[in-house]
Amino acid sequence: MITREEIIKQTNDALKNEFEFTDEQLVPTAQLKDDLCLDSLDAVDMVVVLEQKFGVTLRQGYDLRTIVTLNDLYDFIEKLAKTHHK
Amino acid sequence: MEWLRTGFNTIVIGGAAVAWLFVSAVVASPFLWLKTSHKDRAVRKFVYIQSRGIVFFMQLASKGLRVETGQRPAGSSIIVANHASALDLYTIGAFGFDNVVYITKGWVFKLPFFRYVMEGAGYIDAEKTPPSQMLELCRKAVQNGCDIVLFPQGSRKDPHARFKSGAFYLAEQLQLPVIPVAIAGTQHMLAAGQFWIKPAKIVLKTFSAISPQSYSGELGHLHMAQDVKKQIMDFVDQQSD
Repeated sequence: MITREEIIKQTNDALKNEFEFTDEQLVPTAQLKDDLCLDSLDAVDMVVVLEQKFGVTLRQGYDLRTIVTLNDLYDFIEKLAKTHHK
Repeated sequence: MEWLRTGFNTIVIGGAAVAWLFVSAVVASPFLWLKTSHKDRAVRKFVYIQSRGIVFFMQLASKGLRVETGQRPAGSSIIVANHASALDLYTIGAFGFDNVVYITKGWVFKLPFFRYVMEGAGYIDAEKTPPSQMLELCRKAVQNGCDIVLFPQGSRKDPHARFKSGAFYLAEQLQLPVIPVAIAGTQHMLAAGQFWIKPAKIVLKTFSAISPQSYSGELGHLHMAQDVKKQIMDFVDQQSD
């Protein structure tokens, strides 16, 4: 099963490639809206990027509005990966 | 002698440019106010004339201003440009786009005087307008023969900032070609937060239009944004070398 470290690395790589973020910006406490300046369309794009990266569906049955920081995002993907693994 | 030219640019040419904006507005206001039909179109034409004037003053203040205009597609387009100076807004006029709707940040709509022009011309507040309404307003603008102008970087703070994909999403939804516009040198003439107008070489260029159909998939608009940014910024950086 994918480890949390791998999730963090792959998520950050995807965000760096698609949204031009730097390592300095991608700290776990960074808020997606206020610190990374992701607007609503960016949020949708980010979900699609991560779905393609991890091969999971994030858009159905989950309230993505609860994801405020990068750490929330890592937690969410980790939880989802565990569910898929079961 | 650079400081002398900077002083002259700021006081004499800058002063003349501000006077041009003020006097042209005073002269045009009664006519625009009395106009009963197509008032928004008339205000957009007025902004175009003001822009041409500002570009003229920019030319006087510059070390040379060159405009390279590519072939324009028929019908409306989405015009996207890099953004590093308050002067950029006016440079769009240099290409002959005389009927454009700008989509801008909300604070511009709060500026005294400018707000009346913005509202009168039918410009769109990007922060106040919900996405669904944005699409409808743009569709209406296109039906009225307008081009739509956006600065996808959204701010003048970082000249190399990411191009947000909203403009390209609009192009995808409205099936309009995207015209990339490179604005090189204005950041050296009047950078964000600066007061002094420095002499600088300015190059303005439109590239060939890009069809949204060239990009497929759910992330097509995101990839178009990345490609257009690269095309524009490569040119801008080349001019700075």
